[in-house]
Amino acid sequence: MPLVDYISNEEAELMRVANASSQRRRSSVVSMESGKTKYMPPWTTPYIIGIGGTSGSGKTSVASKLVSEIDVPWTVLISLDNFYKPLDKAQRKRAFENNYDFDEPEAVDLDLAYRCILALKEGKKTEIPVYSFVHHNRVPDKNITIYGASVIVIEGIYALYDKRLLDLMDLKIYVDADLDICLARRLSRDIITRGRDLSGCIQQWERFVKPDADKYVKPTMKNANAIIPSMADNQVAIKLLINHIKSKLKLKSEEHVEKLLKLGGLESKDSKPLSYYKNIFQIPATNQVKALRTMLLDKNLSRDDFVFYFDRVATILLSSALNNINIQSRVTIETPEGHHEKNMIRCDFDSVIAVNIIRSGDCFMSSLKNTIPSIAIGKLLIQSDSQTGEPQLHAEFLPPNIHLCNSVLLMEAHVITGANAIMAIQVLLDNDISLKNIKLVVYMATEVGIRRILNAFGSSIQIYVNFIISNEKIKSGNHNWAVTKFIDTKYFGCN
Amino acid sequence: MSTEPFKNVILLPQTNQLLGLYTIIRDKRTSRPDFIFYSDRIIRLLVEEGLNYLPVQAKSVDTETNEVFEGVSFMGKICGVSIVRAGESMEQGLRECCRSVRIGKILIQRDEETALPKLFYEKLPEDISERFVFLLDPMLATGGSAIMATDVLIKRGVKPERIFFLNLICSKEGIDKYHEAFPDVKIVTGAVDRGLDENKYLIPGLGDFGDRYYCI
Repeated sequence: MPLVDYISNEEAELMRVANASSQRRRSSVVSMESGKTKYMPPWTTPYIIGIGGTSGSGKTSVASKLVSEIDVPWTVLISLDNFYKPLDKAQRKRAFENNYDFDEPEAVDLDLAYRCILALKEGKKTEIPVYSFVHHNRVPDKNITIYGASVIVIEGIYALYDKRLLDLMDLKIYVDADLDICLARRLSRDIITRGRDLSGCIQQWERFVKPDADKYVKPTMKNANAIIPSMADNQVAIKLLINHIKSKLKLKSEEHVEKLLKLGGLESKDSKPLSYYKNIFQIPATNQVKALRTMLLDKNLSRDDFVFYFDRVATILLSSALNNINIQSRVTIETPEGHHEKNMIRCDFDSVIAVNIIRSGDCFMSSLKNTIPSIAIGKLLIQSDSQTGEPQLHAEFLPPNIHLCNSVLLMEAHVITGANAIMAIQVLLDNDISLKNIKLVVYMATEVGIRRILNAFGSSIQIYVNFIISNEKIKSGNHNWAVTKFIDTKYFGCN
Repeated sequence: MSTEPFKNVILLPQTNQLLGLYTIIRDKRTSRPDFIFYSDRIIRLLVEEGLNYLPVQAKSVDTETNEVFEGVSFMGKICGVSIVRAGESMEQGLRECCRSVRIGKILIQRDEETALPKLFYEKLPEDISERFVFLLDPMLATGGSAIMATDVLIKRGVKPERIFFLNLICSKEGIDKYHEAFPDVKIVTGAVDRGLDENKYLIPGLGDFGDRYYCI
């Protein structure tokens, strides 16, 4: 995927998209001067699709077709099957004898489903239970953790049943099929893939599935915005739906980009110079640091030297980020000569955690390991969409109990638009890490990027940076190197 | 008699991090692997600080976007000189910053007959008189061997203002005595201890650095 390399291009693209969308929705545009705009990551406004229909109607295949066609990172498919209520011993016995009614609304824990979807809608980290049809119980200690969904597809016979769930949905789809087709599908599924016997299946169909479908499921059709046939040739209907969903998602991503832009741009007038902010720490420009910077900017520097000198600056930068490390306790120690020293500062270096933004944050790996060998390292993959410039969270691996650590060093080689760093900080906040414990460590940053981060999160976030390139310099026109992502390219030796 | 105590002394900023590192290496219960690791971290900070004082000259380079960046580059050559054995523990820290740096060695031991320090051995780069010299010895207590080593350097033509004496801990007495002999040499250190005991050990100090780093 071609990465958008220049801020000029990237900014222009962001601007272009934002302008187009603001012309369409002029009324919703908040004026730039109306004070601070807080960052809203895309997962605080996930697009939620419900897919209901009777058992065997083909909901699941419709749902998986939608998910694969939508092709947006963090599209989550949730089956309401996960929310079956755990059965007690007597119920379980009946279930194994095909005498338990799985098809009435009461069998599904719709309260829990609502709570989970609501939490996802609020952008929180959410645990979804896993149900075992073998044991007719929830699988103990096994939950699916979902976080940061931009699109959520909820599929199940009662997806369109509960008013509270319906209120959360942006699009409600009912998959309609004749009951005889449903029966045929169920029989082949249950007998061939689940190893059940014919008479048991028929008994279950006649006693529970069919009556429940007529009584509870079919009426939910009236809650749908779209009803699609369940035949093999429903491709036209699905295509129409996907086009609709894509246009809605495009709007959503434009809004996201627009909100990012509102956090400040090259032209925005901020009265306070960056040096005013006590939470921004630039490493002192000593002779050595200036010489190292110069070498690293030299395109003729060999990769061997580049890696070596980058690691050197990275180590200096990390040391500066650790200078203000929280004091864990004051202790009395005894020296080998038997002197008892009171009130000595003890710092717990091992409770510092690093989170690298893939890939440029990984340039700090060797300096991290040299500074704190046992450091726990989390990773976030955030990439900008090549079409819209919208940053997208693709993967998230964080150490367990990250919220208990002393501080989190968020590593990133470049801050250009600031969008990736802002998204990464939001991910940390969503994982219950407090803003004051986050230290963003950056090799080089633009003033625009830094100001956006400040505007999004205020001045409690600490930013440690080797050097910042001012708006004036970028506007002067001969500082394109400052908005080019060359560090990780050169460090890792591939584009 | 005493010279001005803190002229030409570069003391690392006393941050939480640095104080925390010193707490670890002063503690007699610290294991040898930890002692080595955390001493190395302080040594790295000392070397980086020393390098900050080297002169530079203007230099322009071509950037990835083919725009010219007006920066600077280092002027002059450097070398390390370690006082055997404890000073050699600091060589790696210097190498981590300057990969192929030349390193000279000086061995000074107490003469059994006179009880005074005596120069036993020296191996220094031929062109040391043209270089900036990082003199490496982790502890500056009385200053006896450091003064003798510096004397060797100056006799080989090194300019005093081009010598940086890097140590982890020093005493005020040591600084005064050393600067009395060589007022223009810069001392780069991370801690100034209270004083010396009757055996001329630093208080509180950290024990015998060479023993803790190499043996026990």
